[in-house]
Amino acid sequence: MNIFSFGNIIIYIDRFIKFINSIFFVILIVGLSFALIISPIDYLQGDTVRIMYVHVPSAWIGLSIFSIIAISTILNYVFKIKNLFLLLKSLAPIGLLFTGLSIVTGSLWGKPTWGTWWAWDARLTSMLVLMLFYVLFILSLKYLKDKENLPKILSAISILGVINIPIIKYSVEWWSTLHQPASIKFLGTSSIHYSMLIPLFLMLLVLLLYCALIFLMKYKTEIIKIKKQNIKRL
Amino acid sequence: MINEFLNMGGYGFYIWMSFLLVTVFCFLLYYKTRKTLKKYEKELALELEKLPIEHRKRIARSSKVISSILASQNKLS
Repeated sequence: MNIFSFGNIIIYIDRFIKFINSIFFVILIVGLSFALIISPIDYLQGDTVRIMYVHVPSAWIGLSIFSIIAISTILNYVFKIKNLFLLLKSLAPIGLLFTGLSIVTGSLWGKPTWGTWWAWDARLTSMLVLMLFYVLFILSLKYLKDKENLPKILSAISILGVINIPIIKYSVEWWSTLHQPASIKFLGTSSIHYSMLIPLFLMLLVLLLYCALIFLMKYKTEIIKIKKQNIKRL
Repeated sequence: MINEFLNMGGYGFYIWMSFLLVTVFCFLLYYKTRKTLKKYEKELALELEKLPIEHRKRIARSSKVISSILASQNKLS
């Protein structure tokens, strides 16, 4: 039995969608309660620190999805795996949404903290460049009619785009930026108190569950589109 | 107390606007994704309905995707 066949995948998708639907609102309410009520205010930034609970997870998701897309595009180009093509087609709009949201919420955090909505500093500009790569990727997926060269073009866009990821990550260390350096280090000691880490990870979990839900629905739609095209051959 | 909570130390506009924008855009993507999924499920079910009943049964037996779509459409109707 091939567990990666569309038939088996769609059964698991339905189960996962049901599971996410059953726990999502409970985790959302807990996450929002921590983010907006329970978590303490910052000694310097006051209540504006609460924007971090949507800004930081959005940025993490935007960056991670582009990295996944880049790996999938290259693997799809080399091995011609149909499932990978559907995967990146389903992931790209989610990545674009969260990259856009990280820029907008960052701007809303920037105004009271830095006194400006936008500055052309390295972190903000490189995030904007990432968003442009997402837009280019999605437009190519949607409007390029040359199906033979599409994997090559998508690989080129994602390779160029993925070079930007370490630039985003280290921009705050390499250049003098308005944006603060990373407070959360996965390999090292974080300079953020656990009372703020808990709501941050709860909100990350909420947004990850949301991403999974949208991804599964989009993936299912792509499978149905294929089945619809092939119905005459069944 | 509620006013204090809404005011968020004078930064209410920035904080509430951030959470509101995330909620609105996430909801819009969810709505659009769900609508597209339902549209394709319905279209596939309609195409299947055009087929002779024996053919439809055979396809439903051989394809888990088709049987799952037919089952969900039957539930709806």
